[in-house]
Amino acid sequence: MTTETPPVTPLTPVVFAILLSLAEGDKHGYQMMKDARAPEGGGMRMGPGTLYGSLDRMMRDGLVEETGVTDDERRRYYRLTGLGRKALAAELGRLEAAVAGARTLGLLPQGGRR
Amino acid sequence: MSNSLPFGERIQRLYARALWLYPERFRAVYGAQMELALRDALRDSGASRRDLILLIFRDFVTSLAKEHMAMLGETFGRPALIFNALVLAAISTVLALALYAIPQQVLRQGANDPQIGLAGDLVARLEAGVAATEAVPAGTVDMARSLTPFLIVYDDQGKAVASQAQLNGQTPVLPRGVLDFVRTHGEERVSWQPVPGSMHGVRIAAVVERVGGAHPGFVVAGRSLREVEAREAQVEEMAGAAWVGMLLLILAGTAGFGWVTRVRAA
Repeated sequence: MTTETPPVTPLTPVVFAILLSLAEGDKHGYQMMKDARAPEGGGMRMGPGTLYGSLDRMMRDGLVEETGVTDDERRRYYRLTGLGRKALAAELGRLEAAVAGARTLGLLPQGGRR
Repeated sequence: MSNSLPFGERIQRLYARALWLYPERFRAVYGAQMELALRDALRDSGASRRDLILLIFRDFVTSLAKEHMAMLGETFGRPALIFNALVLAAISTVLALALYAIPQQVLRQGANDPQIGLAGDLVARLEAGVAATEAVPAGTVDMARSLTPFLIVYDDQGKAVASQAQLNGQTPVLPRGVLDFVRTHGEERVSWQPVPGSMHGVRIAAVVERVGGAHPGFVVAGRSLREVEAREAQVEEMAGAAWVGMLLLILAGTAGFGWVTRVRAA
């Protein structure tokens, strides 16, 4: 990754969920699907087609890459690139600002979830 | 779990077959991983089997459509391919316009040929002192029906003094602007519509010349453009057909080239 274009936000829910899952570490397909399903992972229910279609485009956009590591069952693992990490940070910042705005308006309780 | 294993295997087998519906490159790169992901999901006791099957079905249908659209975009929507097709389409459009415009002009200019000679001869006779009524041959040409060339002589004020031509029982009057132009330039060749505003009215290929000498005026030699315009319409149809044919060839060639040079699985 030599030339990095600024990450474009907002990200789609699927892309956001994948980036969020990979922020934790290198993962294979089903781990990402499972992480995305959890509320803290974006609450996205996605199947293999959506996942690998998104990964394909994200690799082309330079947001993620294959680690080159495979396990015994020939699963491939993916990881975030620098650009992917920037995109995730930008999206989180955007969401954080929106949540802060919502708190100011009284739409969310102060001090986080209760 | 043991009861559900055969069902899970059946789903996996069905899914593996269904993966063949994905575009070739996508299937080659991700097919095996998608099968593994499904197997992992089926083995995951935390997920409801029914919800999972519904999810996989919905995901399969939507992602299949999405990947085929993406494949079509990658195959046929490449900027270089589109640019080449547009350049070729522009060239074929210019060619088709030339195919129409050149014969159309040749036909239209050729429609003046007899009138040029007739008008010149009549002007020579009038300038030699022959009276207009004698110089214009006898007989009447119905402008609405006949294709025969005709002659009209106008005096210097634009009033008809001798005429072979009749339209609706009257000698038509040339527009003042044409006479004024000829007064200063000596000659004009125009497409004259004696009844203006009519979509299907008579149109005449008219050659207008200035008459000098003792009795100045104007000579008009004309003939109906009906047949010439019918031929022009034929030329237009042929040029249009050639244009559509060229565009279809470009489309087929671009699609074929895009398919042959598409991104394949490594």
